[in-house]
Amino acid sequence: MPLVNFTSREITCKLVFYGPGRCGKTTNLLYIHGRVPEDRRGNMVSLATQSDRTLFFDFLPLELGIISGYTTRFQLYTVPGQVYYNATRRLVLQGADGVVFVADSQARRFDDNLESFRDLQENLLEQGVDIRQLPLVLQYNKQDLPTDLILAPSELDDAFNFRGVPSFPSDALHGSGVFETLKALSSLVLQRLAARPPAP
Amino acid sequence: MRAIEPWVERPLTEFLGESAARVTLLMTASGQVVAQHGFTRSLDVMSAAALGAGIMAATAELARVMGSRPLDAVVHQGTGLGLYLAAFSTPRGRWIGLVVFGAETSLGLVQLFFARLTQDLERAAPAAEPARQVLAENFEDELNSSLRALFGR
Repeated sequence: MPLVNFTSREITCKLVFYGPGRCGKTTNLLYIHGRVPEDRRGNMVSLATQSDRTLFFDFLPLELGIISGYTTRFQLYTVPGQVYYNATRRLVLQGADGVVFVADSQARRFDDNLESFRDLQENLLEQGVDIRQLPLVLQYNKQDLPTDLILAPSELDDAFNFRGVPSFPSDALHGSGVFETLKALSSLVLQRLAARPPAP
Repeated sequence: MRAIEPWVERPLTEFLGESAARVTLLMTASGQVVAQHGFTRSLDVMSAAALGAGIMAATAELARVMGSRPLDAVVHQGTGLGLYLAAFSTPRGRWIGLVVFGAETSLGLVQLFFARLTQDLERAAPAAEPARQVLAENFEDELNSSLRALFGR
């Protein structure tokens, strides 16, 4: 549940970008970091290996502005995508208020997406969270690649979006679909907060 | 000092006075800031909280893998600066404290007064209140315009 400060009227939400290795989770955050004015974001923290693969997490705090009289902040996290780092993925997922599942649209990465999606559901369940109750948005990244290499958004929807959650094609490197994804997840998270207010 | 809930302020002020710590941050186990002293930018506080919560989560997991009891505290000691991280229970759930201290005090004093801080917080926590409405029904218009402004659209 987002942290709400009733005294200073602040809301802080934790949003996690999840998905297989090299699907573009960090690229999403880098694009947002580059696009958002400096006074509305913090420094991007990246705990990465020497070859720039995410080791623990990337972190980017964003200040959205005033919503319903509350200063609203988002904390964006990515998880390490490689199968090997499941223990750290679980840790980053703790307390998430919403998740973006970033799928790699390349046909050859289909099984990796599937494994990561299954892994997301298992890790949430382990923390007592039913994925059907958590705000979730799907992002089909790398849609800029040649069409013979990738699956269309409708094909990916058939495979992953059996719950009919918002889904967006994207090219995170150039920013296409990144804004739409963040907007959809923010909206779901705040809708949930409006429907299930926390105790002060 | 900034505190999410007013009842945290007094125990934290006393801790700061007695321990002579430079920076103190209280956060939830998932890295949400509850109170802080010593930071100038709220966005830097969030980064420090995310890293502190990450360290404690990794430490707890490591202890579990090693078959050990949970390790509640971690100390990093540098030449001029020390860092004390400790998890503790409160009536509001599991919290983490991050304390940065210098040569003007010692790890022993920080540990001693931090233990007292956790007891004071336990005593000071008021009973939970009923849920309260946060967002107006039409919040989405404000959300959309905030996001558009953020992305320069």
